[in-house]
Amino acid sequence: MERRDFLQTLGALVCLSADGVRGPDWPVLAQPLLLMLLGHEAVRELGMQYRALVPQEDNRDLLRSTLPAPWHRSIAATIQQDFEAGRTVVLRGWILSVTEARQCALFSML
Amino acid sequence: MRAVFHAIAMHIDARSLPNGSLLEGDLCIVGAGAAGIAMALEWIGSKHTVLLLEGGGLDYEPAMQDLYRGKIVGLPYFPLEAARLHQFGGTTGHWAGFCSTFDAIDFEQRDWVPYSGWPLRREDLDPFYARAQPLLQLGPYDYAAARWQRRDPGLVPLPLDPTVVWTKMWQFSPPTRFGVVYRDAIFGAPNVQLYTHANVCEIVANEALTAVDGLRVRGHDGKEHRVRARQYVLACCSIQNARLLLASNRRATAGLGNAHDLVGRFFMEHLEIPSGHLGLETSRVPGMKMYAFTLGVTKARGELALHAGVQRARRILNGTVSLEPGTADEVAKSTFQSLNPQVLAAMRDSTEQGAPPPSADSTVVPPAPFYHLMTRQEQAPNPLSRVSLTTERDALGMPRAQLDWRLTDLDKRSFREFYGVLGREFGRSGLGRVQMLDWVTHTEPAWPSTLSGGWHHMGTTRMHDDPKRGVVNASCQLHGVANLSITGASVFPTAGAVNPTLTLVALTLRLSDHLRLKLG
Repeated sequence: MERRDFLQTLGALVCLSADGVRGPDWPVLAQPLLLMLLGHEAVRELGMQYRALVPQEDNRDLLRSTLPAPWHRSIAATIQQDFEAGRTVVLRGWILSVTEARQCALFSML
Repeated sequence: MRAVFHAIAMHIDARSLPNGSLLEGDLCIVGAGAAGIAMALEWIGSKHTVLLLEGGGLDYEPAMQDLYRGKIVGLPYFPLEAARLHQFGGTTGHWAGFCSTFDAIDFEQRDWVPYSGWPLRREDLDPFYARAQPLLQLGPYDYAAARWQRRDPGLVPLPLDPTVVWTKMWQFSPPTRFGVVYRDAIFGAPNVQLYTHANVCEIVANEALTAVDGLRVRGHDGKEHRVRARQYVLACCSIQNARLLLASNRRATAGLGNAHDLVGRFFMEHLEIPSGHLGLETSRVPGMKMYAFTLGVTKARGELALHAGVQRARRILNGTVSLEPGTADEVAKSTFQSLNPQVLAAMRDSTEQGAPPPSADSTVVPPAPFYHLMTRQEQAPNPLSRVSLTTERDALGMPRAQLDWRLTDLDKRSFREFYGVLGREFGRSGLGRVQMLDWVTHTEPAWPSTLSGGWHHMGTTRMHDDPKRGVVNASCQLHGVANLSITGASVFPTAGAVNPTLTLVALTLRLSDHLRLKLG
């Protein structure tokens, strides 16, 4: 990820905190791989596509509730389990786990 | 006639022969490309006289190349006169040297792949693969990634689950220009007579269609010659093998060997299409030398392939994926498109000189964050994908070929399934994420504008033990015609996922052994 992207992403996460999301929740967005691979704009677009594809989840509280609590198990492990179980979704051609797609959706609401 | 030319040279330009000459030998090989020359080399020093007939000259000649011009219908395809070289050495004059073996599953009858199944197994071909390796100036007959890693610790396969996605090894020929590398051997062989500008226009069968009586050779100068041998081998490439059989219709109106309307059908290519992207988690990958390629330097590299068990479970075709580093905002490129202009210029020079291009080696290839994924997939055998004859004739009076290249839903679905599995495995392993290009995700049968073949022609005289299902038998002999055999990729019943040259040379060596038994 470019330094500029990193700073923008960091800024977005700070804004998220300021927007009323409780501190313990924001690590669920801190799945670094997609942000590192694609940058924050692409991740935001993926999130918007997921919300369009699954409109019943186009709700911040609902999305937050579907993501594992950060103290319960690592996001990475959950994502790995998604892939193992075939819980995947295709967004803009990217084959993603449902969990990280929801992360993208939540991220796109920032 | 034969004795006269024996005394002068082993290479004879057929244009210098008196009209109506009779060329006689024990074994006549039609076509001096990889298959024809490999066959001839096997017979050097034997007690048998070998006639090696090449339609073109020793070098590129537009008039000879024009004989390959044909009509394209169906899916878009390369101009036929550009897809094969009509000269001594054949298409090895501009091939890139990519070699690998077919997998065991490629030889199997797969109930989800109509018309699949070879009348031989991979292990039947293994000894001939081993013999073919040095002819193509390859390394040891070893295509196991682990053993290549022991030779070069930098060749580290990606840590994916090998029961899902495995690293299939390739070896790279310099590439061997058969017309250059084996020229002296052929020219100097006392029992091999090479005739250039000797275009076979007709195979003349006996009245019962059980044997070949002779061949007719024609030149641009209007001269016509006859060829007589005890055994004949067609080694002209898939389109020309079919064309010659279909045009040999003096006694068999549908063409020689075509009693069951199979000659020319089942034309296959390798579908080589940019299909996706890989975002790699570089911190988890020490290096990517295993998947890198430098023309003229790389001896072996890997590509990603799906395990046979996955192919069975998903009921899909075989394929491999190469990884070409790039950026997200550029159009995907093939391995060759990715080469810099200097290397391409060196490659063009090497085509003329027969030497590998100079290039710098790199012992460390750091991982890149982004790769273009280029797929090479077998095409499902399809009787509607075919070569036939047009009413137009070439300069020698031969009907020109028509290619109707067609694909099936299985071809398209296999791409989609392949990338689905690949994406899940990269995600599961945490090594990265895979993106499918739009055309891969679509379920409709349409193909993208980037649809391309690998310039590999296969399948038009397919092999099967049942004459109603194949043109040649397991020994590559034309069904019902005792002294005519066919070699080259035209006999492939299925295309496999890899380039055909190594396999067609191996099959040629196998045929040579069969013919040795026949000729004694």
